[in-house]
Amino acid sequence: MKRVEDILTQCIEEIKSGKVNLAECLDHYPAIREELEPLLRIALSINEPPDVMPSDAFKIRARVNLMEYIHASKTTKKPVGSSLKSLTTRAWATGWSRAVVVILAVIISVSALGTGTVYASQDSVPGDILYPVKLGTEQAQRFFTTNDVSGTSLELSFADNRIEEMVVLTHKRPEELAVAVNGYERNLELTISRVEQVNNKGVRASLQETIALAISGHLFSLDELEDSMTEKIEEINTAREIAMDGHIRALQGLMVENPLRAAEINIVTMLDRLNRAKLESERGNIKEMEQALQHFQRLRKFGEEISSNAAQNGYDTRAIDELNAGATAGQMEIFGAIYSNTPEEAKGIVEKAMVVSMEGHGQAVQGLQQQGSLGDIPEEPPLPEDIPGEVKKKILKPETAGEGNGRN
Amino acid sequence: MQGATNTEIATDIDLLVKEATDGDANAFGILYDMYVDRVYRHVYYRIGSTEDAEDLTQQAFLKAWQAIGRYKKTASPFIAWLISISHNLVIDFYRSKKDSVYLDSEVMAGDSTLSPDKLTEAAFDQQQLRKVIMQLPGDYQKVILMRFIEGFSYSEIAASIGKSEGAVRVTLHRALARMRKILKKAKQ
Repeated sequence: MKRVEDILTQCIEEIKSGKVNLAECLDHYPAIREELEPLLRIALSINEPPDVMPSDAFKIRARVNLMEYIHASKTTKKPVGSSLKSLTTRAWATGWSRAVVVILAVIISVSALGTGTVYASQDSVPGDILYPVKLGTEQAQRFFTTNDVSGTSLELSFADNRIEEMVVLTHKRPEELAVAVNGYERNLELTISRVEQVNNKGVRASLQETIALAISGHLFSLDELEDSMTEKIEEINTAREIAMDGHIRALQGLMVENPLRAAEINIVTMLDRLNRAKLESERGNIKEMEQALQHFQRLRKFGEEISSNAAQNGYDTRAIDELNAGATAGQMEIFGAIYSNTPEEAKGIVEKAMVVSMEGHGQAVQGLQQQGSLGDIPEEPPLPEDIPGEVKKKILKPETAGEGNGRN
Repeated sequence: MQGATNTEIATDIDLLVKEATDGDANAFGILYDMYVDRVYRHVYYRIGSTEDAEDLTQQAFLKAWQAIGRYKKTASPFIAWLISISHNLVIDFYRSKKDSVYLDSEVMAGDSTLSPDKLTEAAFDQQQLRKVIMQLPGDYQKVILMRFIEGFSYSEIAASIGKSEGAVRVTLHRALARMRKILKKAKQ
């Protein structure tokens, strides 16, 4: 005879899977019906909570803290010998001949310089005497990492290193910044090309998401770095352009497998860039505001690409279009603030970005209308009150205003 | 479009866990990316405060990294191990905040996920149930949360708490009976 706990769990699973209903299950076990019924009612009432998700900002912040903690604890606790041991272990597992060559190279370097030197090099920056040792160690790690999953994260960690170097160099030796920026470009390029080699679609998409989020973190670090300086440095802008390219490429990969997630990350970064433009407009930095708005426009147009691509691949694009259309009203509020902060001669830059935002909105609305699911989303979101009527017309109907701001 | 099979994903996760166990921070970073949502969800369900849930989620991953050398691959998946760490952190959190009331928060305000016919079979308010679950002792609470909130299988729960599947079913039965008792008492 079955035990009551077995009957209870069996009933729960069968009811939840829809095989039977509560009454049928109870009818099946009349002898224990009285005990079973209240317990089943409780069990069936416990639902999974509604989708509670941590914010992207938290996830990035916590990841950065975690990695900093890990690297710091390794620096204080882990002897170099163990890294070398780990490297050699991998080498034996991945192939003799190539391993022997590199092990010899590492041993020779370590013998010549001392393990302490190799270790100390990890904090070096371009222009330091130990910097070539640091790059050499990275090269050795790269050489040993034959698995594309680990290789991708390794390369991304090198890109993180370059950002950290930029932070140090900006205050210590700004003339060497270009070296770190060039390295960053190369590391991101290698990260993205390596992730494309990952065969497992699910893992590849997860890595592409990680890369896109990590680059959002890089953009945040570059903004912070810029805020800490009294003078503007061109290399920071260059690094930001590289980060934007990398971010979009990572999302282009992600959108193939998970277009909704790509759209979500895109929306968050877009908002981040728009807020950056607002901050720069408050400070009267027109050039920086313009760069942030250009990034915003790229991302807004990319949002349209995500939706079109998803439709071509047979995905249901409603959620993506809702995200894109639902974001416009909030964007317009920020635009209102930017517009009033901007001097007359530069207002055209803001208007152009608003046109792009409205075009993105238009496409998303069109998509929703075609699927009969526009819901509460307005066809034309309200434009900020501070914007003059003539300008509003230009933004809503750019082609009649002769602005030529249509999408390519 | 065809995604990765469960076996492929499990193999990749096993590989990442192995590399993390060997001290590979990057592999651990990927595991963080894969599981941070679930750990947060678990903590948030039990705490109901965004700020504390973020803090404990972060602590859970730090503790996991510190203890990863002790992680053993069993029938319990890596996420179950992470959930166990989070579970203990939440217990410590409540111990240190004895006077604070967190359970009246907004977490369970969402709609039921059950279909209408199953709804008639479900008779309790989510907020009320959540409070009751939080009153359950140790393994009772863990088994209820892992099965009904986290969706772990009985074998995974068994591996996670170091008991047999049969013992998990017994614990689940007792936990539900205890919940019934608490609910009955509350009605009186």
